[in-house]
Amino acid sequence: MRKTLLVRFSTAVLVSVGVWVAYTQTPQSPPNKIEKLKDDLYVIIGNGGNVAVYVTGEGVILIDDKFEPDFPDIMAKVKSVTNQPIKYVLNTHHHGDHTGGNAKFLPSAEIISHANARANIIQGKQPGPPRVVFSQETAVFLGSKEVRARHFGRGHTNGDAMIYFPALRTIHTGDLMAGTSPLIDYGGGGSVVDWTKTLDGVMNSGWDFDTVIPGHGPVAKKADLLAYRNNIEKLRNRVSGLIREGKPKDDVAKVLTAEFGWDPKGLQMQRGFEGLFTELGR
Amino acid sequence: MSRTFAIRLFAGILLLTGSWIAYTQNTGKQPPQLTLNKVKDDLYEIEGDGGNVAVYITNEGVILIDDKFDQDHDQILEKVKSVTNQPIKYILSTHYHADHSGGNAKFLPTAEIISTANARTNIEKHIQSNAPPGVMPAKVVFTTESAVFLGGKEVRARYFGRGHTNGDAMMYFPALRTLHTGDMMAGTSPLIDYPGGGSVVEWTKTLDAVMNSGWDFDTVIPGHGPVTTKANLMTYRNNVEKLRTRAASVIREGKSMDELGKVMTAEFGWMPGSLQFQWSLPGMMTELK
Repeated sequence: MRKTLLVRFSTAVLVSVGVWVAYTQTPQSPPNKIEKLKDDLYVIIGNGGNVAVYVTGEGVILIDDKFEPDFPDIMAKVKSVTNQPIKYVLNTHHHGDHTGGNAKFLPSAEIISHANARANIIQGKQPGPPRVVFSQETAVFLGSKEVRARHFGRGHTNGDAMIYFPALRTIHTGDLMAGTSPLIDYGGGGSVVDWTKTLDGVMNSGWDFDTVIPGHGPVAKKADLLAYRNNIEKLRNRVSGLIREGKPKDDVAKVLTAEFGWDPKGLQMQRGFEGLFTELGR
Repeated sequence: MSRTFAIRLFAGILLLTGSWIAYTQNTGKQPPQLTLNKVKDDLYEIEGDGGNVAVYITNEGVILIDDKFDQDHDQILEKVKSVTNQPIKYILSTHYHADHSGGNAKFLPTAEIISTANARTNIEKHIQSNAPPGVMPAKVVFTTESAVFLGGKEVRARYFGRGHTNGDAMMYFPALRTLHTGDMMAGTSPLIDYPGGGSVVEWTKTLDAVMNSGWDFDTVIPGHGPVTTKANLMTYRNNVEKLRTRAASVIREGKSMDELGKVMTAEFGWMPGSLQFQWSLPGMMTELK
């Protein structure tokens, strides 16, 4: 009897601690801020991926919706610039820091992603799979404004869409540009070989843009995207060279940390390291 | 004098009669009665006045393929209501013509309408010469393929290439092995809308593409006419090829458009003055030269 009570008590304590840990680690009041980028186009930067907010006379089009707990903050930030309701959310890819708000938005907005992004969401048992998908290119026309989403090929995942605001000469790259060095999600169909081709694809697409909203980090220019692309090529060539020299994996990891800033325990290592050997090891 | 008067009176009566017939057929106040048929589990089709509408019922809402003319909106709602209480959530458009997209304006406030990018452009540019005013384009478009997932069910829309227009989508219900062709199959002989980007040369290739797409279907809902089978779609494709070959040989013999028209009437049932004569003959003279 006493033992049972003790077990119950310990369990209760454990659960409480667990809840508290989960609570403190889940972002509760995310440090998001909204910035005006161009006429009717805003960016919400902070927690999770960058959210683009395109305001039209018939509603708002969002690009990505961060984590699930960011939902009320996204709503508040949008409300601070317009009274229009959010009608569409275009997902750049399946990761939870870009699609986490989907489940909350689905009852009132149309969410659209690439077919592979949806398949990855389903496979990962993530909440809020989009109801509408496309394979190559889609566009949303709202209040006389247009947003295009196109899949240019693999890179960060196998279902990345880049987003174009033709009237504003602006693109949102999703995580095809994010931070300083690529996270190649091999489990999600990513490829370091195709990544540069995919970025060449958007450069040669005829999309006329000067401004680039990356998946994470501050708003950049077209020239910065090209520099990012070239850095990926450099990384790929460096790792290919090391693999051909027969260098042990530990040495390759050290080079990635020293020369490309990969955190030894970060997601780049977890998701992008082993796959490099498979993809470049031929 | 008396004879002139008689002729004038006769002409007047003829004109009045003509106007009356035109009026009764076009008022829009009494659109022809529609009929709803069950195709397979949860899939119905609505025939009459304009293109065939497919009705796919899920427990999160209804997906329609096409929405006929504007005047058919209320009857479509009524027919859907006779088989489910679910609201219409999505409409996938097969192409831009007003007998398939005419209901868009009335459905847009409550349903998401999806079409090919070219179908939207053709509506915006008012390409269809005989379309009534006010046809509205879809808000969401795609270039190659799109799909809608609702209530655990899926409908796919794919652009396989030009044919009837430059923006025809064919629709696939994977769980029911059923295809909606739009007007890529309609009636017995093709209407090639050259002003809308159609092509008799591409038409057979486009139908070959759906045959070889991996889409597994046995049942075909055509754009107009009764529900049919895959074998009949193949027959239809072969008839398009036969028509193209025949027309090409007539044109290459140096025959005129009038002479080509006579051959089309005699051998393929094209009626003089019909849309096939208006939209297809001139374009064929150019494309098959």
